[in-house]
Amino acid sequence: MAPARRVVMGCVAALTVMASVLLWTGCTRTPVGGWQAGGPSTSSGVEAIPGSFPSPAEELWIIARDSNAEGEPTEDAAGSGALIAETNEGTEVPLPLKHTDVRAEVLGYIATVRVTQQFHNPFDAKIEARYVFPLPHNAAVNEFVMTIGERRIRGIIRERQEAEQIYEQAKHQGYVASLLTQERPNVFSQSVANIEPGKEIDIELNYFHTLAWVDGWYEFVFPTVVGPRFNPPGSTAGIGAVPRGAQGGSEQATQVEYLKPGERSGHDIAIQLGVHAGVVIEETECASHVVTSEAPSPDRLRVALAPNDRIPNKDFVFRFRVAGSQLKTGLLTCHDERGGFFTLMLYPPKDRAPLARKPLELVFVLDSSGSMSGRPIAEAKQAIDRALRRLAPNDTFQLINFAMRASRLGAEPLPATPQNVRRGLDYLDQLEGAGGTMMIEGVNAALDFPHDPERLRFVCFLTDGYIGNEAQILSAIQEKLGASRIFSFGIGSSVNRYLLEHMAKVGRGAVAYLGPNDSAARIMDDFIERIRHPALTDVRLDWEGAAVTEVYPRRVPDLFVGRPVVLTGRFEGRALTRVRVLGDAAGQRMEWTVAAAEGAEEHRGLPSVWARLKIADLSDQALLDRNGEWASEIKQVALDYGLISEYTAFVAVDSSRTTAGSEGTTVPVAVPVPEGVKYRTSVPEK
Amino acid sequence: MLGLLAVSMAVAQESAPRSEPVHFRAVEVFVDSKDKALAAYQLEFSASGGDAKIVGIEGGGHAEFREAPFYDPKAIQQERVIFGAFSTASADRLPKGITRVATIHLRTVGIESPRLTVKVSAAATAGGDKIPITASAKEKPHDEN
Repeated sequence: MAPARRVVMGCVAALTVMASVLLWTGCTRTPVGGWQAGGPSTSSGVEAIPGSFPSPAEELWIIARDSNAEGEPTEDAAGSGALIAETNEGTEVPLPLKHTDVRAEVLGYIATVRVTQQFHNPFDAKIEARYVFPLPHNAAVNEFVMTIGERRIRGIIRERQEAEQIYEQAKHQGYVASLLTQERPNVFSQSVANIEPGKEIDIELNYFHTLAWVDGWYEFVFPTVVGPRFNPPGSTAGIGAVPRGAQGGSEQATQVEYLKPGERSGHDIAIQLGVHAGVVIEETECASHVVTSEAPSPDRLRVALAPNDRIPNKDFVFRFRVAGSQLKTGLLTCHDERGGFFTLMLYPPKDRAPLARKPLELVFVLDSSGSMSGRPIAEAKQAIDRALRRLAPNDTFQLINFAMRASRLGAEPLPATPQNVRRGLDYLDQLEGAGGTMMIEGVNAALDFPHDPERLRFVCFLTDGYIGNEAQILSAIQEKLGASRIFSFGIGSSVNRYLLEHMAKVGRGAVAYLGPNDSAARIMDDFIERIRHPALTDVRLDWEGAAVTEVYPRRVPDLFVGRPVVLTGRFEGRALTRVRVLGDAAGQRMEWTVAAAEGAEEHRGLPSVWARLKIADLSDQALLDRNGEWASEIKQVALDYGLISEYTAFVAVDSSRTTAGSEGTTVPVAVPVPEGVKYRTSVPEK
Repeated sequence: MLGLLAVSMAVAQESAPRSEPVHFRAVEVFVDSKDKALAAYQLEFSASGGDAKIVGIEGGGHAEFREAPFYDPKAIQQERVIFGAFSTASADRLPKGITRVATIHLRTVGIESPRLTVKVSAAATAGGDKIPITASAKEKPHDEN
């Protein structure tokens, strides 16, 4: 045993009480990835905008000053005295977010991710920075640290309203303070108050989440930008999209400012990912970005974003495939002073091809709104084209498209004859992306017409999900679903994964993503293959005597080919080592067993992952029952487990020092529209 | 081996834009391990009265305890913070005597002074041996600008 390790063991043995304290944050505590924290340490003054510029020979530097009527700079105006750089790549806009550093470590199928946002003040007056950014919708954010120079202040989880009040009080009194709130399960707001000119403040977040496993591949995703959302007329609780500088212009509760065409920010991103699969990693793929990778051993990987691909305008998606068709183990556990926690990945059994299935009724619902204009809608059309050509003549299909209104191919689904498929393809050809995203029109059109009982009905939504009224859509699906199953396809480089995954979850189907560099044919072939085989339904679990409670999702979904389901729960008493799974496929009873691997490592993130799922479950129930005490219950779970939620927030205040002057101007961090999305058709100009 | 120290704090006189004055205060937490090298500790800090709210926990002055300590999210709902840290460094790199291990950032409302309490739960050397330590807390003078 290494000397350092011996010391830790000695301390833990002597201090059992203290050990339990350290267990709040997990079973053991090690730095993410074991890498040194990176990031620039330079302190920039007002004469220089930090960031990576081309060589001076390529630039024209212009001093830009916001002026009042007399042509004098106003003291508090953001932009005063800052430099704007004209480069070959466009106008670089000075912004308070300089860099985002992501360090992720995957153990088994749970990721631990540390995100550091490096804020600075390139202006000559004090500012408050505000940044709306995405994280995975199932991220259990349990740590928040504000770093000022060498001083690190851990933020405190509090009721959201209280945290917001504390932050505002500190801001008004001139203290450096920061606040993290959740606007959607996958959209967060970061505010940093009283950043003095030339100063830097880092905000560090830590979260856990489970990885998706699709068709034999694990998928790690880090989203980098919130896409421009459409909000139905009259709504105010949405996420508005406005051009840079249009503060408050959207009249929505949350607002994202977008860089205009020809503008860019110095904000860049670095991502380092470590993978410890526990079994041999046979193949890797990163279609979204250029990466470098090395394999220290057959079951480990180290991956880094290439230096020339660091613009935060699309999801980072890294996939890896391990040896064999299944995991080393599908059952992971963790014990701490709160009891036992587990997560279980259920795989559908193989070889169901001989089982008979009913013919299909496929309903394609295509988002033809403005944000889908161009490449996204072209890719969605390719996908539908491919699916239509693979249908059998005794299947039926319907095509629906929606923007501000919905329209459809025919009054009822058509048999998939060659003539009707041709008719469908002609209908698709004339669709273009334009207008708002009234997705509710598409949901109503797809789920309101009668279901043919002789067919299995699958409703396929193809959309980027850029809407701000997710709750309305999910609630409508829950209400109207009936015997239909919903498969959602995310189209684009930075889609609303929370909406798409929840549509599939509520719709008891599955989700797939079609990025700019993915093959539409492959995605659709996989989908058709999946639904051609009967799903395993009525899935029951025998815990073999273990005292298992609070398993999420509450109802085990149908198991489709290539799509496992992850269940997460708690247990008391003896260790959970085996689970017997029973279900029916096309009327035949099936049964198999999942066991924990011998000597499997415990994962410290499991309590947080479980608590996040409980919060998601309570939120889903709140969609149906507006009168329930859901808010109070969600808040208590979040506070008990130290997690951010809709009703809790992290706040950190440096009370040791006040800054000079007034509280400063608020400067939103403007972001680029996602790659492939047209600014003109997705960001409304006032 | 419990050390207990209550510290009363002077009320700041500055005004705030509310009917009740709002103050932010930094309280430094020290431990004294005498001649023993401190490798690990766990303390319980509480603030009662003055509507005190803990708004941040900062690391200590010594390099081995600079990282912001972890805390129990359940306890903090009662404005108690149970926090601890450990170092795997060799004994010659660990602090001895009086060491600032954390700074607790507080918000208080009104003129009532919060009553601050620090309890020692446990402490140990690099070898894992329990050691007696005492703990104290002191409000840090405000740095203006």
